[in-house]
Amino acid sequence: MLKCGEKTIQEKIDCVPFHRWIFNDGQIWTLFYRRGESFVLRFPDLADFEVAADGFSVLAHPVVGTSSNTITHLYLNQVLPLALSRQGKLVFHGSAVQTPFGVTAFLGESGRGKSTLAASFASSGCRFLTDDCLLLEKLDRGFSVQPSHPSIRLWDDSREALVHASAPLAPPVQHTPKARILSDDVLAFCDVAQPLRNIYFLGDGCASEVSITPMSPSEALIGLVNHSFLLDIEARDAIAAHFEELTQLVALPLYFRLDYPRHYAALPSVREAILKNASMDIHAS
Amino acid sequence: MSQFNSVTIPKQVMARQVGDETVILDLASGTYFGLDPVGTRIWQLLAEGRTLAQVSEVILAEYDVLREEVEQDLDQLVKELSARKLIELVI
Repeated sequence: MLKCGEKTIQEKIDCVPFHRWIFNDGQIWTLFYRRGESFVLRFPDLADFEVAADGFSVLAHPVVGTSSNTITHLYLNQVLPLALSRQGKLVFHGSAVQTPFGVTAFLGESGRGKSTLAASFASSGCRFLTDDCLLLEKLDRGFSVQPSHPSIRLWDDSREALVHASAPLAPPVQHTPKARILSDDVLAFCDVAQPLRNIYFLGDGCASEVSITPMSPSEALIGLVNHSFLLDIEARDAIAAHFEELTQLVALPLYFRLDYPRHYAALPSVREAILKNASMDIHAS
Repeated sequence: MSQFNSVTIPKQVMARQVGDETVILDLASGTYFGLDPVGTRIWQLLAEGRTLAQVSEVILAEYDVLREEVEQDLDQLVKELSARKLIELVI
């Protein structure tokens, strides 16, 4: 789906971006433009990506000096989830792991611990399916979680706490110091779609102990809207269809708030509580 | 009681009932809003075109609440929905 085109110097685009992603410090991360029927995603000083209107093809134009690893990384983590949304897929900003009771997914803003939880589970016998891009497919009954790239991105402290020293690393990229740890026998990856069991929305870490509370359907719907990847935020028909699909998704009793103290020593009890909750839930249904 | 008589729901606003609650979404701005079960009932009545006075009467008949309380809550909800452009007020 990704093709690499000519290098670019990122000349000014003669229209106003219809959307932008901005870091907390005000720095622009991504600018969204329309070009005819298709879209241009500009990552300043790194690359432009042209996404076809139907989301089935992407053409990358790297800025001179941007490594191919950086392009691949941007594509997998930023561009592909947005392109998939144009294909009508349900894509969320989240991680997922396989448990004996089905897949447990974690949604939350950046920094809430999605990748840390995925790595913690994966290094404890529950294989991970994704660390950032949660892709759901509708089944006759329920939903399945599709596997993503077999790697987990971690800051150094998480890496030191959760991953063995000899874990294989993907080559570094230019826009983040986060390491991308490739799956291996220890950090196990699940490469086959699995049925979804639960979705947890991660709290801000203020809890003094592990806390799991069920969410109402409306709370879950708002949470899913918040964490959806959507490329064309102005396409009302597509947004309406997406909202409708999410409404069906929240009809299932899958949703919980999860909070816990953010220190690594707490992770075993977090895993235990999540597995216990999934177990109790499955017996109740 | 509110100075407004009734409300209209803009075309770009859609609402979906999930369980006994409702989530309202403004497709133009991406604004969304959650309603509890009583708010959901109020939204249903507003969407049917009932006046605010009629909505108050129905809520009084269906729930064990005081008139003053209903009118105050309805007034507050309507103002909040209007501020978020999820309804338009009609005098």
